[in-house]
Amino acid sequence: MDTTKLEGIRSLKLRIMYGRKASELVREFATCEPGQISSFNNDLFAQVLEECDGHLLHLQPLIRKIQEQENTLRDVASQDGSEVSEDERLKTEELKTSLRSALKSDQFGALVHHLSLVRNKRCLMAYVYNRAEMIRSLGWMVDSVLPGDIQDKLSTAEKDYFKKHVATLQSYMAELDLLLTVDMIPPKDPFVKVRVIDDIGQVALSDQVANLSKHAIMFLRRIDAEQYITQGQMEELPS
Amino acid sequence: MDSGGEEGSNAEDYALPTEVEMLKNAWRNEKAAPEILKFDSELVLRSRKQIQLMMDLDRTMYLLRSYLRVRLLKHCNSCCSRLRSMCSTLRKTAELRNRLSMHEQEFARRCAADLKHHLEASVLSKLPDQYQSHLRQSAASEEDDMVSEPKLDVYVICRSKRFLGAFQLDDGMEEPISIEADDLYALPYKSIKPLVETGQIDLV
Repeated sequence: MDTTKLEGIRSLKLRIMYGRKASELVREFATCEPGQISSFNNDLFAQVLEECDGHLLHLQPLIRKIQEQENTLRDVASQDGSEVSEDERLKTEELKTSLRSALKSDQFGALVHHLSLVRNKRCLMAYVYNRAEMIRSLGWMVDSVLPGDIQDKLSTAEKDYFKKHVATLQSYMAELDLLLTVDMIPPKDPFVKVRVIDDIGQVALSDQVANLSKHAIMFLRRIDAEQYITQGQMEELPS
Repeated sequence: MDSGGEEGSNAEDYALPTEVEMLKNAWRNEKAAPEILKFDSELVLRSRKQIQLMMDLDRTMYLLRSYLRVRLLKHCNSCCSRLRSMCSTLRKTAELRNRLSMHEQEFARRCAADLKHHLEASVLSKLPDQYQSHLRQSAASEEDDMVSEPKLDVYVICRSKRFLGAFQLDDGMEEPISIEADDLYALPYKSIKPLVETGQIDLV
């Protein structure tokens, strides 16, 4: 078996290990509880990127080889003249066959690396894109500041993206002069009965100035209370 | 109405200043008096009407906010299509843009730009040259194969206000269905899209 074929097969065997890390990354995201986000896996992410670089290192020389082989093959084929002996014609055919087979195994090798790279790219993109979706939904629930424990789980780029998205949302709401982050559930009653959990202090609400002290039970406008309830600073009481 | 035990509040936006004051007075008096005072039925009736008015306004507000929110969420989650529309000038994207308000167009533009920048910073800039496109898997791709379109062939529940007669569904293989007034149908969205756009059919 010539060496080019061996290399093709070796690539194929190694490929069984290719893409595994990328799968792990995607699986990690998929197995997260709904509504929760896991920490950005910097290590695994970097490893997948390293794999991509590795694929490129294999891919580039292979592509060069393929081009050379294609050129050689074309040259040999164009030599197919009329005035050659039977012997020479047979020799040329043999040469073409072996060239084609070498070309094929290199093409397969290159294809394996290219497809693995592309698969890794899709996994990385899916990971970042789906996390971005979760981050966007956070923008609806909290004000412009993320709670500390969520901040720890995001990468630097993700924290940046969150800030940008909140700014985009706020810009839209400012244009309309309408808050869209309140009023998230259909109203039954304009007022709710709440117990204040955290000591919030004096606050200007939509219709009054109130002293939101710990343990106080009050009637507030639903839209005023909503954000506090979502953030756990108040709890709604059955009225 | 104000929270228990609080000082006098400012007038409600859409209630007569005297309404709330009168109710507060009645409430204060009732709390302080040792015996039961006369029931002011007029006042109670008016107050209840005011609250009902507030509730209707509240509900309308909720509807408005929810309508705008649902649209925004669709923009956000279809950022992929937006990414494409940022780069091309297909007739389809012009049609899509016509459906948006001016502010929504700006929002969609910024949303897509934010996401594109984020994907580039996190992933694409770290990949080899030929693989850095956010629309194509690699430079060898013949079309935008990293982006998906919204699925229009999902089934939706719909109802028509009027009798619409024979209507041919998209697949062309089955016979046309007859759409009666007020009956509920489950149909593929793609088939009835034009009817929804002209307001002849409502989605439930």
